[in-house]
Amino acid sequence: MILPMLPIWIIDFAGSSLMILFSFLCVHHATKLRKRDEDNIIWTYLIWVSYALVGFAISRGVGHIAKILLMMAGRRETWDILRPFSGGMNTLMFALVGSTTLFFKRVWRVYQQMAQDKAALEQAHEKLLYLNRNLEDLVAERSRELVRSETKYRRIFEASRDMIAITAGTGKLLDMNPAGKRMLGIEDGAVDQGELRLPDFFARPEDWEGLREQLQRHCYVNDAEIDLVTRDGKELSVLLSASAECEIGEKTETFHFVAKDISQRKAMQQQLLQADKLASIGQLAAGIAHEINNPLSIILGYTQLLIRDEPERSEKYADLRTIEKHARTCKIIVEDLLSFSRTTHTRKETASLHDTIDEVLNVVRHHLDLDRVNLVKEFDPDVPSLVLDRNKIKQVFMNLIMNAKQAIAKEGEIRIRTRYVPTEGTEGVVHVDVEDTGCGIQPKDLSRIFDPFFTTKSTGEGTGLGLSVSYGIVKNHGGDILVQSEPGKGSTFTVVLPVTAEDEAFS
Amino acid sequence: MMRCRIFGVGGSAAFLLAGLLFPLPAFAVQVHAEPEGLYVHQMAHAFFAFSMGILIYWLRERRLTAHKGWRRLQYAALFFILWNVDTFINHHLEARGDLFEIATPGVFTAWISPNPGVEWVALVFYVTKMDHLLCVPAIVFLFSSLHHLLRSADGGRVEDEAS
Repeated sequence: MILPMLPIWIIDFAGSSLMILFSFLCVHHATKLRKRDEDNIIWTYLIWVSYALVGFAISRGVGHIAKILLMMAGRRETWDILRPFSGGMNTLMFALVGSTTLFFKRVWRVYQQMAQDKAALEQAHEKLLYLNRNLEDLVAERSRELVRSETKYRRIFEASRDMIAITAGTGKLLDMNPAGKRMLGIEDGAVDQGELRLPDFFARPEDWEGLREQLQRHCYVNDAEIDLVTRDGKELSVLLSASAECEIGEKTETFHFVAKDISQRKAMQQQLLQADKLASIGQLAAGIAHEINNPLSIILGYTQLLIRDEPERSEKYADLRTIEKHARTCKIIVEDLLSFSRTTHTRKETASLHDTIDEVLNVVRHHLDLDRVNLVKEFDPDVPSLVLDRNKIKQVFMNLIMNAKQAIAKEGEIRIRTRYVPTEGTEGVVHVDVEDTGCGIQPKDLSRIFDPFFTTKSTGEGTGLGLSVSYGIVKNHGGDILVQSEPGKGSTFTVVLPVTAEDEAFS
Repeated sequence: MMRCRIFGVGGSAAFLLAGLLFPLPAFAVQVHAEPEGLYVHQMAHAFFAFSMGILIYWLRERRLTAHKGWRRLQYAALFFILWNVDTFINHHLEARGDLFEIATPGVFTAWISPNPGVEWVALVFYVTKMDHLLCVPAIVFLFSSLHHLLRSADGGRVEDEAS
């Protein structure tokens, strides 16, 4: 088998020429690419590879072409001199292309990191430039935002009708809003002195301990009903919510409290309960009074018939008189019970409330003067005429004034104040305050004073029906009786009567 | 920093003294004889092929081969690998010296005469001798790759892909 060398030499010659040509074209393209972006490491790599390939193509191609040409010229010895250089250069170029490629992978990773860092730096630089240019505006805007925020929250703090307080974990008051100060009777500046403690205003110290424990455990407390004592000793009920803020770094704890005064609401609830109770008692009393009224009338009638036939000085006559007297007493009590239960007939007419009160005052004035009880009238001229049963309303004020006098005993003052309170949607109401400087009512008795037969007077002094009858009469007029009392300072009974048109009242 | 002490001061002095008293010939420069150049050349071929393999791996790992320009670069690398394998085999067979005889009475009339029994090996040598059939396509693919990359760079898309 003979294998001709000519095809090999032809391919070598053409191939080497093409290798040289394309390697230069590659360098040209890679150079153009690099000019597009001189920082791009990929284009740099491709330029290196292209240059190495130029070196490779020239060293190899020139070697091959020179070999063919020298052989054709019969200069084999010259080729033998050139051959090691061509081969050596060739080897060097392979190594260069290989190394470039291997190092490129590593360089590429570094380049990626550098590119990321560069982007981050450029971003930071841009941000810094922006901040530098707009620092003043940004600070001003931030300050405005802070002021707005501060104003908003300060307004909530200052204008809240409920108490907002901030205390340290020990209970020391750090700040309190004006509503809280008013609620507890704390003067301005007292909180800033840093000597006040919130627990001191708790009616029961154990309430504070319980609150604190719950705050430390759960970080919040919701709607706890707490009794507080104001600086002037007045007790009030509040609905208290609290949260704890723990600054672990500073090792301090702060409690935030919001307290809503629910004393009035509780009082109203008490009144509703009381009204409900009295209504039940009223129904019971009405039933009993009706049942007793008839036998009493028969007893009284027959007793009077028997008296008529008896000589006045006889023993039997005296006994019958005793029966008659006690039967009448029973009848009065029964009538009072009927008044309380509002089952008795009322005769309402348009009348002046002031005249009605004056009539009562004329009766009791002498009695009051004897015990040096000063009577003060403050009548509001705007009070209109009311539709009322004058006799029954007189009975109400008589009861209230006599109770006030008995509470004062000797030396004091009874102030009777009327005022017209217009209300939306109705014609308004009239308030009549009967205020005394007497002994006051114990808090435990306040809820029972309108109960029938409840009395704090000694036996024989009162039946305990006065206030319950008054309550029944006022309710029958569509009104209400309210009471405020402080033991040792006096009481104020307020009769609230609605202003109604006559046709409405009789309808 | 760790200090490595093989001999102490005394040990070093004793070693120096022994060297002075009993000298031996020292060959400072090594002679690089005949087959070493071939081995280095073959190693360079292997290294070139390996680096091209790494380049293909890197292109595929970054999914750059979806782009025509990078795909062409991958083909260029593949042809360079084939060319390196081809030339590696060719150099090895040529170095054996027991496969064939080359007769060169003239350039256009030169031939290869295989030795009896190893004709197919001589034939492999003959075919692998036409290595330009592999390295020319490789460099053409490289040129084509650069051409596409340049066009894409003008369109501003390559950098995004390469990043």
